[in-house]
Amino acid sequence: MRGPGRSLASAAVAFALPALAVAWAWPQGLTPWRSAAIVSAWVGTGLLVASLLLMLREPRLARALGGLEPMLRWHHRAGVSGYLVLLAHPLALALDARAEDPALVRAVLDPRLQPWAVDLGWGALLLLMAGLAATFMPALAYRRWRATHFALGFAVAAGLAHVLVLLGQAGLPLLGAALAGVALAWRFVLLDRGWRSLAYRVAAVTHPAAAMVEASLAPMAAGLRAEPGQFVLARFLDAERYAACGAFHPFTISDVAPDGRLKVAIKALGPCSAQLQALQPGAVVQLQGPFGDFLAAEGPPRPQLWVAGGIGITPFIAALRQRPCSRPTTLLYLVRSEADAAFAPELRAMADAQPSLTLWLHATGDATPALEPWLARLPDLAHTEVQVCGPPALVHALLPLLAARGVPRGQVHHEAFDFR
Amino acid sequence: MSAARVFRVGTLVFWLALLALWGSAPPPGDGPPAPAGEAPSPAAAGFTLAEVAAHARADDCWMAIGGEVYDITAYVERHPSEPEVLLPWCGREATEAYRTKMRGRPHSARADTLLAQYRVGILRAAGRVP
Repeated sequence: MRGPGRSLASAAVAFALPALAVAWAWPQGLTPWRSAAIVSAWVGTGLLVASLLLMLREPRLARALGGLEPMLRWHHRAGVSGYLVLLAHPLALALDARAEDPALVRAVLDPRLQPWAVDLGWGALLLLMAGLAATFMPALAYRRWRATHFALGFAVAAGLAHVLVLLGQAGLPLLGAALAGVALAWRFVLLDRGWRSLAYRVAAVTHPAAAMVEASLAPMAAGLRAEPGQFVLARFLDAERYAACGAFHPFTISDVAPDGRLKVAIKALGPCSAQLQALQPGAVVQLQGPFGDFLAAEGPPRPQLWVAGGIGITPFIAALRQRPCSRPTTLLYLVRSEADAAFAPELRAMADAQPSLTLWLHATGDATPALEPWLARLPDLAHTEVQVCGPPALVHALLPLLAARGVPRGQVHHEAFDFR
Repeated sequence: MSAARVFRVGTLVFWLALLALWGSAPPPGDGPPAPAGEAPSPAAAGFTLAEVAAHARADDCWMAIGGEVYDITAYVERHPSEPEVLLPWCGREATEAYRTKMRGRPHSARADTLLAQYRVGILRAAGRVP
């Protein structure tokens, strides 16, 4: 599923759980503020449980929910919305107390005067607050960010314990707690510890550009069935050499061989990928996936414009290696310098051999590339299918230019691999 | 507005609202006055359900809840629900009714706090009312 509708399934999960919870707990015959407190508690709890379900990066689940990228987008939206709605819960309880007797407000808000189950709720809310505050710190190193982000899972568990103890009964609260428990165990044990992954061996390593390696991975048993344009999550097991890679990181596939081998291109962009520049044949790597549907074939046979920025060439080289272009294709490949132009000789040879492929390789230096002159060279841009893979700045610069030249939004495709 | 900005603004508004509510409220000691009327026996002595049953009117309403006895006469008129929901439980063991207020859900922690102010003693096991 592609286009505007692709995230509907993920959105449906995010909306269905709070709706179900509110329908079950709809307050009757209570004061307005107490009703608001009950509704905010259940909407917030439903959103947080939905957020946990949307962090399960299972390939089948991701396909059913429109892809990993919309899943993660709705995971973030549901998490932040759930937190904001839950902030209203203690405030509404205090306002309800004030409507009855102003002297009760402090008794309601003071954790020292409340049973421990209520304190558990306060603890969950403050842990959510602290965890989200850390999540929104862009300067935090990835490993620390990940640890604080995972604390949010425990905050949701504490919040559900607060609900269960206060209500002291089964029914929907127990179902919510069970869903959250399964989601947390699935993520932290089955996924993050690699139990739901396939083992590969690094068969060969090449250096197609400066600060970049391409690893050829051979399956040790069953392999993944991937397509060009997709990515995998990889965890390298040689803990001493690749200490920063203890967690799964996303890498785009650069080649899908008929014998099941995959190639991934790894540019030194962070601590993990920098350590992987020293990758040697023989290392064992766990893979999850494949994910994504970038370059998935569909729609009328229009001419293609592929725009690659730096390491963004990876899905395009994977597609070109698999089969020759069936449609007139222009590949605009923007790199900082010639030394950064990975796969340049191979691409030039492909362009020479394939009349339908035009290669525009351009070294931009450190300046922001001027995109307009390149677009002006394309005669029928409004009827061209545009695929963009590169840094967010490139995507953001290109989208308005394409819109100004009459390219419908539905003909422009780009991938956002933002795992934070 | 980015998610980070929404988070910061929402959190700031929450703390400001919380502080405003706290600051505008009198200390808990200034709560509802102790119920008037019959002077309760010392809590340690406790009451039987038969004694509780003698207070089964809207103007003299005791209830046994969770092993404690409460004189909620002064609160009857302030209870949020219709009188016919609450009054049938005057003079009776009302633990289940209190805990399953609405579709199996209990009263709030705030109701617990409120109820504690009307406690007059413990429930003694001797003598059950049919």
